[in-house]
Amino acid sequence: MNAHDEDRIKELLRQAMPPVGAEAEPAPEPSIDLWPAVLRRLDAHRAAQPRLNWVWFDWALLAGVVAVTVAFPASIPMLLYYL
Amino acid sequence: MNTHPYLRAYLAGIFVPTLVLPLMLTGFITLRLILGVPVPIERFVIFPMAVVPSLFGLWNMLYLASRTVTHLPIGVHGGILPFLGAPIGALVASCLGFLQIAAQGIIWFHILHVPYALLAAIFLAAVAGYYLVWKYIVGFLNRVMGIA
Repeated sequence: MNAHDEDRIKELLRQAMPPVGAEAEPAPEPSIDLWPAVLRRLDAHRAAQPRLNWVWFDWALLAGVVAVTVAFPASIPMLLYYL
Repeated sequence: MNTHPYLRAYLAGIFVPTLVLPLMLTGFITLRLILGVPVPIERFVIFPMAVVPSLFGLWNMLYLASRTVTHLPIGVHGGILPFLGAPIGALVASCLGFLQIAAQGIIWFHILHVPYALLAAIFLAAVAGYYLVWKYIVGFLNRVMGIA
């Protein structure tokens, strides 16, 4: 490796690694608005998550609560007592 | 808005009992003062007014603190609360004198006899009701408050 090569390597290193404390150049603005794409990706991620359809179970529970209160009105003050 | 998450959890938790209490008071005052039903309202409301809202708020704070460990859905977390609240409520009611424990069941306000079999059904209804309230109302409020 001769002196010319060393100088060349030094120059390349300087270009690759800016000196500490040097003011970084601001990142160029993207040409398009990226936020809608981020939202689309979030929606797609949400839709891809496995979802168990428990709505029927919740309706059944609600029906059970209503059935108990209708069949046994004495339960109403007791349930209210705990709310 | 990531400051004071436990305060927001407490506020989201106390929402439902705070909303229900005036409606319940209206009903009981109507029963007592207008219809003349001999119900000791002033003793009855101590637990729903003083204990239940705090219990809901603290339980929601506990959910916020423990969910990364337990991974319980909020409905299930809320459904566990009657297992804690029911004995406390029964103890308070018993100490205040409007709940008596008899051989066949319990007696509320000296007039309302509830057999143990029915008590089990009411307890299950309470668990189901709490599950739904926590899943749909407290869960919604937690999302609104930014802590879901």
